[in-house]
Amino acid sequence: MTRPAFRYWERLRTHDAALADLAERRIDTYAALIPLTPARLGRRGRADLLTGVVDDLDDIVGAQIRVTVPGLSALVAWGLATAVTAGFDWRVGAWIAGLGVVVTGLAALAERLESAGLAELTHARADVGRIAGLLTGQASEIAAINAGPDLQAELAAAQRVWVATTLRQARGRALAAGTILVSVAATTVGVALSLGGAARHTAPVAALLVLTPVAVADALTPLAEAARALARARGSAVRLRGVLDQTPAVASVTGTEDMAASEGEARHTDIAVRAVSARWTPERPLALAPLDLDLPAGTHLAVVGPNGAGKSTLLAVLARHLDPESGTVTIDDTPISGMPLASARARVAVVDDSPHVFGSSLRENLKLAAGGVASDAEITAALGRAGLGGWLDRLPDGLDTRLGAGGRGMSGGEQARLGLARALLSERPVVLLDEPVAHLDSVTAREVLDDLLAASSDRTLVMVSHREDGRDGFARTLHLTPPA
Amino acid sequence: MKPFDPQVLRTVPEARRPFVALGAVGVAQGAATIATAFALTGVVVAIARSAPITTPLAWLVGLFVARAVLAAAAEYAAAHAGATVTTAVRARLLGAWASEGEGAGAGVAGGASAEGVGGIPTDPAARLTLATSGCASVEPYAARYLPALVAAAVVPAVAVATLALVDWPSALVVVLTLPLLPLFAALIGRTTQDDTQRRWRALADLGGHFLDVVRGLPTLVNYGRAERQLASIGEVTERHRRATMRTLRTAFLSSAALELLATISVAIVAVLCGVRLARGTMPLDTAMVAILLAPEAYWPIRRVGQEFHSAADGAEALAAIQAELDAPTRQSRGTQESRGTQGAPAATVDLTDVTYTYPGADAPVLAGLSLHAGPGLTVVTGESGAGKTTLLELVCGIRRPESGVVRAPACHLVTQRPFLPTGSLRRLMTLGNTAGTQAIWEALRDVGLDGVVAALPDGLETVVGDDGFGLSAGQRARVGLARALLAPESVILLDEPTAHLDDESAAIAHAAIRELASRKAVVAVTHRAELVEVADRHTHLARTRRGAVAS
Repeated sequence: MTRPAFRYWERLRTHDAALADLAERRIDTYAALIPLTPARLGRRGRADLLTGVVDDLDDIVGAQIRVTVPGLSALVAWGLATAVTAGFDWRVGAWIAGLGVVVTGLAALAERLESAGLAELTHARADVGRIAGLLTGQASEIAAINAGPDLQAELAAAQRVWVATTLRQARGRALAAGTILVSVAATTVGVALSLGGAARHTAPVAALLVLTPVAVADALTPLAEAARALARARGSAVRLRGVLDQTPAVASVTGTEDMAASEGEARHTDIAVRAVSARWTPERPLALAPLDLDLPAGTHLAVVGPNGAGKSTLLAVLARHLDPESGTVTIDDTPISGMPLASARARVAVVDDSPHVFGSSLRENLKLAAGGVASDAEITAALGRAGLGGWLDRLPDGLDTRLGAGGRGMSGGEQARLGLARALLSERPVVLLDEPVAHLDSVTAREVLDDLLAASSDRTLVMVSHREDGRDGFARTLHLTPPA
Repeated sequence: MKPFDPQVLRTVPEARRPFVALGAVGVAQGAATIATAFALTGVVVAIARSAPITTPLAWLVGLFVARAVLAAAAEYAAAHAGATVTTAVRARLLGAWASEGEGAGAGVAGGASAEGVGGIPTDPAARLTLATSGCASVEPYAARYLPALVAAAVVPAVAVATLALVDWPSALVVVLTLPLLPLFAALIGRTTQDDTQRRWRALADLGGHFLDVVRGLPTLVNYGRAERQLASIGEVTERHRRATMRTLRTAFLSSAALELLATISVAIVAVLCGVRLARGTMPLDTAMVAILLAPEAYWPIRRVGQEFHSAADGAEALAAIQAELDAPTRQSRGTQESRGTQGAPAATVDLTDVTYTYPGADAPVLAGLSLHAGPGLTVVTGESGAGKTTLLELVCGIRRPESGVVRAPACHLVTQRPFLPTGSLRRLMTLGNTAGTQAIWEALRDVGLDGVVAALPDGLETVVGDDGFGLSAGQRARVGLARALLAPESVILLDEPTAHLDDESAAIAHAAIRELASRKAVVAVTHRAELVEVADRHTHLARTRRGAVAS
């Protein structure tokens, strides 16, 4: 009867310890992610990568509960059972010890089998997710060319691969589950035979000894499950290291965010780019061929060119998300490589095609762009200039409306405009737009861009776009070609 | 969450067989475990009486081997059931969304509200979440919870019946105490329910905070707000820990209470057997079987309790999926439409008095528009914002008219940004058609891309698209056009097919469009005078106060 009490105490303690550990690991991970953001997070699938980081971290910390505790309690139970039975009869002790060794071996095998299929399973799952993403995110484009059946077939094929991989892993698990029971039976036979005939023990002791393997098996069986959890946690740890062990794309991080926050606001900013070339990592090919570019304050520049021409790379260099390989970028004749990172970045607001909507009020979602201080009037004005005035008027709770997860949903157009409203509210003199309207239909895209241009007469705008339409308002166009 | 909703089996007929198999294996496992109690007793009694043990041992080994096979089968069947249900639900869900028209996806819903009819989100991100992690969370429900439920319904009954045959007083103890388990569970659940529900929302908020700030990291770094999140992550995670521990304490306590109850009940059986053993009114084998059998009546029920929590997410996701599948085709905007063969002869498009207003807009973009397009080339011109793209989307069935009639067979629409997901050129070219290699090359030649493709390192197998080898906007447009040449549909709709092309490439493309128009009905929206010149029909959309009309 003490068992439920012990179990209650153990579960409570281990969960509490794991959650406390989680808090620490989360802070460390977040701090490690900051210098890698955004250049090292990949351009596409960034949200998925970051979600993966959160899941992997949970998995790693959860391993304490699922691996360490069952492992330890199995070990203790096994040790005690071996010692006690050996005290009565060394032969029985040897059998019990052998059972523990065999089950541990089987658990190790289960871990190996689980690890072997893990990469394949992750890949298969990603494939299914990618196709599901196309089917949900590009539904109308798919309907337009009647490619639905083709993609459904592709989804079915990807799911078949996933099922096959899952079942292959399940075979390993089935093998472990079955062989553990067989080894329990073998141990029971061994114990019974080593007791039999000789009548060395009294009847109760003999009965006790012959029942031991079955009882010990109860404590040992969780080892197989623990081994699988260990395999998953290891896979997560490898993935997490792969993300966190990267070298930041920018050098010299000096100066704090708070110091810099006020510096960038509403300052006249001339940018000059001289013979700048860049690559994302030393191993990868040149992403931006040497470029000269003058961006006096108030320039409206559209950047076009095929994929791989270095459009996004140029924006990353201007935003100081990526250090150039050669050449210099100057702001008001000061090379940005000599400026504190935070100050250089405080001049520039970046708007990409998928601004994150935080799970908090509309007010908080905008305030963060203004260093956390903005009056309701300023926020309302920024929303109006981004073309969200009518939308705001229709919100029953106004600026207090809760957005993001668990809150009010926003359409693609509304999200794109939210990103613009943030950039406008930040009062930063330079706004870099990376395909801000990629997900929008052409009518909405044009409206969003018109609103932006109307609100930015004295601001420098640099927009990367694949689309031809909507660029009319930009006075200059830069055609980039891929580096040879 | 309801303990069991047979709706699952109706929604996913594929789940029936694995579910039955899983239930059967579970019941067989229970039976084998009960039989093991007898075999084990046989061995113990034989040893205690120094009788020959070969026969009982053989029985024991045989039963353990049977249990091993069953355990392996159960493990495999669970994985099979889980995978079957997950994939079937996902395929059904995505199929259902694919067959609906308006409101689907980001492409057209840009200006629309993110809420669909009846508050069901049509937001692509929400849909993707439901199709991926939502469907995945159904797995523990199908693979673990449901079989546990079956075992809980059958195994205790068999155990009690067996016990009654062996030793009725022990069976009586079990029968009297067994109902206390669900009763206790319900009582504990009732008293903590309000508390738990109040906490759930808070817990979900706190738990989601880290994910939210991590996903928002690029935005926070952009505006210099990332470092200050470190303190709030620590603080929120600490609050989450305290809140979670309060909830867990309740959960663990109730499971400990149930375990204690089961243990006490087994202890009562054991004590009763012990007393009778001591008095010599009960043989050893009967007592042992009774003591070994009693726990078998309790654990299946406790296991349901354990799996209940891990299945809760899956049950919730299933309900959401069910709602999506049950949603009537979201055609609530007072529409009339005829699609397919009836009503319209092949290769003819007829729009009669069609009016369309963007969701949320005040004025219609198209008002009382009529248009006829038969075989040959029909061009549509008009100033920007006049609704030309909308017109094509109406013909294609991606949008539904507010009033009026659209008669058209299945169409192939080449949008301004043709759908080119990452994949080999061959695959991109055969989306929506089944063209062979030769036909693909011919189509590429017709749009003047054959030279470019032949120069690629892997030719047709070159991977292009979002992350692959770069295509310029003009090349993308030409791939889209070449694909349209291969499309089996009798009506081809082209949205600014040559806007991105230089004059030379445009001339080649225009010739290809002309050739296409000799075998099909082609409707092209264009700004290019050269294309207008070679058209069979020309419609100009003029923007009026009430919306665009044709002239």
